[in-house]
Amino acid sequence: MPQDNKHRGRVAVITGGSGGIGGAVATRLTAEGAIVHILDVKSGDDNLRFHAVDVGDEASVNRIIDAIGAEHGAIDYLVCCAGIYQPQPFLELSLDAWRQTLQINLTGMFLCCRAALKYMMPRQFGRVVLFSSMAARTGGKNVSHYAASKGGILGLARALAVEAAADNIRVNAISPVITDTAMPRAVVSDAYMQSRKNHIPLGRIGAVQDMVEACLFLLSDDSSYIVGQDLRVNGGSTLW
Amino acid sequence: MVMPNSRVTVITGGGSGMGRATALRLARNGDRVCICDLNADAVNATAELIRAEAGSVFSGVVDVRKQAQVIAWIAQVIEKYGQIDCLFSNAGVNARAKVANMTLAQWSLLIDTHVTGTFNFCQAVLRHMVPRQAGAIVITSSDFAIIGVANAANYCAAKTALYSLTKSLALEFAPHIRVNAIGPGPIDTPLLRAHRTQEEFETARRTFEARLPIKRLGQPEEVAAVVDFLLSERAAFITGQLIQPNGGQVMW
Repeated sequence: MPQDNKHRGRVAVITGGSGGIGGAVATRLTAEGAIVHILDVKSGDDNLRFHAVDVGDEASVNRIIDAIGAEHGAIDYLVCCAGIYQPQPFLELSLDAWRQTLQINLTGMFLCCRAALKYMMPRQFGRVVLFSSMAARTGGKNVSHYAASKGGILGLARALAVEAAADNIRVNAISPVITDTAMPRAVVSDAYMQSRKNHIPLGRIGAVQDMVEACLFLLSDDSSYIVGQDLRVNGGSTLW
Repeated sequence: MVMPNSRVTVITGGGSGMGRATALRLARNGDRVCICDLNADAVNATAELIRAEAGSVFSGVVDVRKQAQVIAWIAQVIEKYGQIDCLFSNAGVNARAKVANMTLAQWSLLIDTHVTGTFNFCQAVLRHMVPRQAGAIVITSSDFAIIGVANAANYCAAKTALYSLTKSLALEFAPHIRVNAIGPGPIDTPLLRAHRTQEEFETARRTFEARLPIKRLGQPEEVAAVVDFLLSERAAFITGQLIQPNGGQVMW
């Protein structure tokens, strides 16, 4: 595990930072000396700076990110992990459920990006990582709203990457395959989780640590020429 | 620092550009680096740079198109170190021409060097990785595997073949051995400057910079950092993918 000073003193905003992947990214960045702010609906690690917020609420997002920007005079990193996963058969999918998934998963990222880039642009520095999903490419049963929201994230990442790259703001995405966190475990059985590994060439489901390493790579200068890409951390389950 | 148990990493096309930058970076990480190139002066120069930093290097002159040469050189590496942990198959060449005027020699030079050369190295190295159930490979493909470009049908065909080869190898050698490709955009290497006068290169550079979202050419060291990541345990769950350090030239 690389331990140097590349993240020391960086101001990081992490949405969904109380959950599985976001929480692990927050813990790691904190360990590497970054100043980490977590935006989530629920609190997690008591040792981290936590802000209760629904990322789909424009006024709350603006207020909190403005406060963070004002406190530090900078926002260096934005990592968007906040999302919901509530599978529903298509014909039973209510418009409210569709809207809620799109609002949190996709519009939430738009709102957080817009608020944070306001602090990145003037300083000509920023690193943004948006968590999409393999479902953006593969779809899946009962996840039309989720897949649509995650596909939208790839479009947002690419468009924002083009718009911001010349200002030294790099925007990239990560698409995990099913990862061992509370989010899938809330809706699928342990047996199902384990059965998924039979369809993954590397022979296991994703580990939170796999996603943390990918995220830190995209935040660091090791990826200085990588812009608008989707890093597919999926054990080889989908090769495009 | 080089340790007795340091990784043994083989790099083809180690005499210049991305191959040299990666060799230097991995040697600094402590790898025992084995570099080859068709150009003896170039590979010797890279080896000297590594030795000057007290890194570990073994070098050779190999024509990647010649299977017997590849097998013989890999045998030397095994005799010296007893194992190979990583392979960066990167040797490449270019010969631009319109298809209407392209000679079979121009076509074959690129297919043989990029595609058959990578096949030769992957097969020779995998024979030593498989019994140990461990290893990581990175293959230099290109953005052109995705977008295509005029006057480079041979280059595009070769680089697309490498992307397909990467995916097949990833599936065939999972779960213990990972295989990924990189798709660099315009990187300031001798290959990019080849067959261009300084004036032509500056014109090309301005064209690239205007078109690229990041508004600058990439440096070989920026590609080396990506290869380092993909060969490391940090990428333990990434296989069969094309990773594109390309300044935003292509986003899919």
